[in-house]
Amino acid sequence: MADAGRLRQAMITSPAISPVTLVRVTIIAAILLGWEALAQSGLLYRDVVPSLRSIGNAIYALLIDPQYYWNLGVTAAEVGAALAIGGISAVVVGLVLGANKFLSRAYEPYLYYLGPTPKIIFFPIMIMWFGVGPPSKVALGVLSCFFPIALSVAAGMRQIDPVLIRVGKSFRANAWQMATKVYLPAMRHPIINGIRLGLGVALIATLLAETKLSNRGIGFLIIQAYSLFDMPRMYAMLIVLFVLAIGANAVVGRLGGLDSIKRF
Amino acid sequence: MPAATALRPESARERGDILEVKDVTKRFPTPEGAVTAVDDVSLSVRQGEFLAIIGPSGCGKSTLFNIVGGLLGDYEGEVSVAGERITGPHPSVGMVFQEESTFPWRTVLENVGFPLEIEGKPKAQRHDKARHFIKMVGLDGFENRYPNELSGGMRQRVSLARTLASEPKILLMDEPFAALDEQTRLLLGDKVLQIQQELKQTTLLITHNITEAVQLSDRIMVMTYRPGKIKRVVDIDLPRPRTSEVVGSDAFGHYVAQIWADLREEASRGMSDDESRARATGTRRK
Amino acid sequence: MTLAAFTRMRFAPQIVGFGSLLLAILAFEILIRVGLLNRFIVPMPSQIAGAFERVIFEEQIAERFYLTMKECVSAAALLAVFGVAIGTLLYKVNILRRATETWVAAAAAAPTVLMYPLFLVIFGRSALTIIMMGFVAGLPAVILKTIEGLSGTKRVLLNVGRSFKLTPWQMFWKIQFPSALPTIFTGFKLGLIFALINVVGVEFLINFGGLGQLINDLAERYDLAGTYAAICFVILVSVVFFIVVERAERWLTRAA
Repeated sequence: MADAGRLRQAMITSPAISPVTLVRVTIIAAILLGWEALAQSGLLYRDVVPSLRSIGNAIYALLIDPQYYWNLGVTAAEVGAALAIGGISAVVVGLVLGANKFLSRAYEPYLYYLGPTPKIIFFPIMIMWFGVGPPSKVALGVLSCFFPIALSVAAGMRQIDPVLIRVGKSFRANAWQMATKVYLPAMRHPIINGIRLGLGVALIATLLAETKLSNRGIGFLIIQAYSLFDMPRMYAMLIVLFVLAIGANAVVGRLGGLDSIKRF
Repeated sequence: MPAATALRPESARERGDILEVKDVTKRFPTPEGAVTAVDDVSLSVRQGEFLAIIGPSGCGKSTLFNIVGGLLGDYEGEVSVAGERITGPHPSVGMVFQEESTFPWRTVLENVGFPLEIEGKPKAQRHDKARHFIKMVGLDGFENRYPNELSGGMRQRVSLARTLASEPKILLMDEPFAALDEQTRLLLGDKVLQIQQELKQTTLLITHNITEAVQLSDRIMVMTYRPGKIKRVVDIDLPRPRTSEVVGSDAFGHYVAQIWADLREEASRGMSDDESRARATGTRRK
Repeated sequence: MTLAAFTRMRFAPQIVGFGSLLLAILAFEILIRVGLLNRFIVPMPSQIAGAFERVIFEEQIAERFYLTMKECVSAAALLAVFGVAIGTLLYKVNILRRATETWVAAAAAAPTVLMYPLFLVIFGRSALTIIMMGFVAGLPAVILKTIEGLSGTKRVLLNVGRSFKLTPWQMFWKIQFPSALPTIFTGFKLGLIFALINVVGVEFLINFGGLGQLINDLAERYDLAGTYAAICFVILVSVVFFIVVERAERWLTRAA
């Protein structure tokens, strides 16, 4: 009886907030305070640093605006289409390059060296080929995400432990069984990471293209806010965008990462 | 000491030979010219027999393993299993590899059930059979664990159970205990012996460990250093089960000494070959 | 020669790769001349090649190249100083690291370049905006790799330092930092690549600066062949830059 009481007391007095959380809260509080001070001081040109309240209002206005969700849908659809087209073709190309050493030596260097280049500069060409609407944004997204996914998949194929392939062959698995029961499961890490990276670059390419030339989508809304000098709205959109982007990245990572960590 | 010559397989089937290797030679092209890994090797294994092939590193044992298992082609000579010539991995030949070979993304149960899955057996049947073999290797209770939760020795047992689940006529093992510590190896060796006796499983074990070979097998073939030939065949005439008494007996010691004498010659040839190679190119052989 | 023998030839893959590229270009040339592809959408490769000369001589390519490189170097300097400094700080102050490391990793995944309209407002339509965008883009990579490099110092090396009774300052500069340099340079290389991509990209988007602006100019003038040529040129610069940075990294890693 007395022990239970002592136990309960121990639970009450032990710290509920870890030091890490404390530091994080402090940092965030300091930033917010500094921000508000700057906003109120009038030191900077009006509205370059808008008050926290105006940003908060803008976020609220955004989240209840059906037009915002419509534009969000447009961007999401563009990114989705880019990832689907670019992703699937990249996986196929990656599998071929990973499996065949000759083809890999012939073509993979091109993928590798053309990968880290700014794809946005291809946008004028995409407009010429696909017009000024969403298809040109999707095309740019496809171009952007193709490279990292193909390279990830090719590298993933090569990193499969060769003994696992021999096991499959020793049990006489046919090509389809080898692909689905040995190759793909063995590669889930690189594939998921490739998709995460592909998602990131496709998102960036699509949004940038929307800021350059579009009349719909989140990128368009951002540049519209800029041209109207509606700073609270711009901040609001950037904040929401970042939260969504980081969230999407985390979700994809979790799909492949967490349960793989357990097994690997 | 009588050194039995390689058996000519005219009456192989009558003798109950389940595996026949006939005049197999395998050469590999290298930048320095063709290297003969296995040179005119012939052997046969009777049903239910435990045959060990022992030799120094670089004698072509693994090449022979891969040839008999059907994973390596393009050689001279022929290999037949129960009278049928093999041209690729054969359903009657089961392979246990030296390296870690469990699928890390499958549970123990799913790993052991893999060959049955490939054959297209329904789930319930697969799991039942898998459980039977998991029990046989002493891993009951671990069906739903993942390989990374198990020790090295346990993972090798999973690999063994997986191969046994395909119920092969011949079990081929390539130094399956090489990566394990001595004690685990001894215990697993006992387990393998026990399973072999129970299933009357024909087994071909590749090893470089003499004690292990003498303890487990009915016959031992000693191979020379590259190009690998059969140097000597020794019949192990010790009583079964091979208890610790048998292992500690004089007869056991004699067999070990005899084989060591043969092996020592080949091993030192291998070492001086290594040294001259390193002196020449400054790189180490695999 | 049989197919198998050809594939074993030393440079066979490279020949096949480059050869198929040339074939593709040739195919485009033919398809456009014949009229199967619209020449007002895809100019003939021969026209693009011709435009190269024009672009190089009439568009002050040297100045533009110099401008872009200046921006990159500035961003690189900022990355080297602030990136490594922040990384080191986080490594040393453990609580700070535990609190913020995941934030930095999240920032690496976030589309930071989308903030360029914001930077336009703050820094104006100037080189500073471009430099800052490049800096911000490359920062997370440098910070994370710096932390990784410093915390990856082999324990045995630290023990050697301890056995010689080194002061904390000496431990850092004589053991931890040198051992971390290869990883730090990898981070710097990554940061530099992100920086260049963003520098050129933002130049294109805000129509200011060097090479990125050139493409924008030519596109707005509807100079088709010129636009294609300029894009090829910028891609070439980007690839060369990447190769140089990679070589530097490999050299440094081997020396370490």
